Amino acid sequence: MPMKLTNKTTIVFLYILTLLSSLVSIYLYGWKGFAVLILLLSGIKFLLVTFQFMEMKKAHSFWKSMIFLYLGLYITIVSFVLLFF
Amino acid sequence: MEEKVDYANLYYPPGGILIWILIFLELVTFGAALVGLVVSSRDNPAEYHHSRMLLNTYYGTLNTLFLLTGGYFMAQAVQSAKKTLYRQAGKNTMFAIISGLLFILLKGFEYYEKIEHGLTLGYNTFFNFYWLLTGFHVIHVIVGLVILAFMYRSLTKPGANPDILNIEAGAHFWHMVDLIWLLLFPTLYLIL
Repeated sequence: MPMKLTNKTTIVFLYILTLLSSLVSIYLYGWKGFAVLILLLSGIKFLLVTFQFMEMKKAHSFWKSMIFLYLGLYITIVSFVLLFF
Repeated sequence: MEEKVDYANLYYPPGGILIWILIFLELVTFGAALVGLVVSSRDNPAEYHHSRMLLNTYYGTLNTLFLLTGGYFMAQAVQSAKKTLYRQAGKNTMFAIISGLLFILLKGFEYYEKIEHGLTLGYNTFFNFYWLLTGFHVIHVIVGLVILAFMYRSLTKPGANPDILNIEAGAHFWHMVDLIWLLLFPTLYLIL
């Protein structure tokens, strides 16, 4: 049976992802993809907060799409600038 | 008794449509400024990296944990309020307020250190971004704390019967502060 995401399990995931981001920034600095990895980890945290804490999992698909669109654009633009400029 | 709202309706997202318009406006504004920071860093990557290394990642990480903890308590507060457990909701709101105050306290300490070392507004472009972005964010945290204080009062006063939409909207403002930080922290403290 799949694990049900509750506020308690969400906060545990958020703590782990936060610590992981900081560790990646310390130990993987210099690796070309490290910034993208950190942005992706932050993106997961962003989605956990919006969908679980803010209950957007229950919202109309328009609002869900807007969240994904915003986050996708932000991560893509920042990654692109860092990798290619 | 749990109040039922049809969140699947386009016009009634959790927290209400107005708070979501505000959230997207804020996210776009901060997002644009952060993209500006990253684009500007390409002119002089070495200086930006050196400046970024002068920031304390441990403070940033701890502050992220404070804000996320506050967000968790607010999510719990909304759930309790929906079940009309207002005292429990008030208690969770108080824990969120404490998390926010810890954030402000640590931020104040970080600012004090930066000022002591002369890393003030005008030191270089990176620190101009640092002060403006984190400063505006702190203002949002303070406004969020004022909203939470009002929420706490409305949840704990005798015979409390708060409007659940107001409680949700207040909680969403607090989550918005979280969301902005979740973009600001990695961009400013970790990746440059």
